[in-house]
Amino acid sequence: MENLDPNTLITVITIIVAGVGIVIGTIVPAIMEGLAAGKALDGIARQPDAAPQIRTTMIISMALLETTAIYVLLVVLVLLFANPLIERFFGG
Amino acid sequence: MNVFEHPILFYLFGIIPIRDTVVMTWILMVFILVLVLLIRKAFPSLLETVLEFITAMVDDVLDVDNLNPYLPLLGTLFIFILLANLLSIVPGLKSPTSDINTALAMALIVLFAVQFYGIRQKGFWGYVKTFSDPIWLFPLEIVSQISRTLSLTLRLFGNIMSGDLIVAIIFSIIPLIVPVALMSLSLLTGVLQAYVLTILATLYIASAVEINIEDEKMKKAGFGKKLTRRKEITNGKS
Repeated sequence: MENLDPNTLITVITIIVAGVGIVIGTIVPAIMEGLAAGKALDGIARQPDAAPQIRTTMIISMALLETTAIYVLLVVLVLLFANPLIERFFGG
Repeated sequence: MNVFEHPILFYLFGIIPIRDTVVMTWILMVFILVLVLLIRKAFPSLLETVLEFITAMVDDVLDVDNLNPYLPLLGTLFIFILLANLLSIVPGLKSPTSDINTALAMALIVLFAVQFYGIRQKGFWGYVKTFSDPIWLFPLEIVSQISRTLSLTLRLFGNIMSGDLIVAIIFSIIPLIVPVALMSLSLLTGVLQAYVLTILATLYIASAVEINIEDEKMKKAGFGKKLTRRKEITNGKS
């Protein structure tokens, strides 16, 4: 670890953080989307007449939930492909 | 990687840089125009079906008497974003929405349209008043308007770009047949995102426009005094 130059160290840390971040950041929205879909299916099974409204609301809420996962993805992509830290601390 | 790069192709009038996204948008505009003209000649009933679909979609969320002022904007948003998302299956073309600038432009259109409709419906001070019902909520509302625009941008851009990225990654590993499944998945995402952005824009417009209608109905029915009293009570509580 002491032999690494700081540039490589930051890169390695970034890769680890990106991996951990994308895993956690996709697990939680996935679970919550599953919950939302399950509840919506419950509602549709109980009241088939209300299916169109439930479907619209479910799609909207799932899109809102998915946004958090997309945020994580974008942050991870910025870290991996356009890392601002390396240039900031070590001038490229 | 090729997915992120949007190179400057040429300069318009020598100063304005034109990226490939803009060129794709122009191609898309010509494509939509030709498509609509062809459909209008061949089967006019199809256009009516599209209009009915969009009207039903907006009518589900927006609860006003006259939909006509809102339909052109929302329909245009839906058709443009839908076809823009689907454009990337044509070989050689990129979907314009995989560039964050196009997505930001869409979100800004929605932001300003919401303010425009709100002010037109209620007048400037009336709109500001609903904006800041207890006065200290005003900054929070401003923040929510901005963050809503940001989330619209990032949702559209992130979904389309990640679809393209996944297809590119799989293509670099197994170029045969396997990417087709993921491309169909990204098509589904594209249709869904067009639907979601339109529905969210409708929701935001509804939240800017609708409250006034209920107030007016109450006033017309002679509940004006009761309404103001009720507002005073709720204000006192909060």
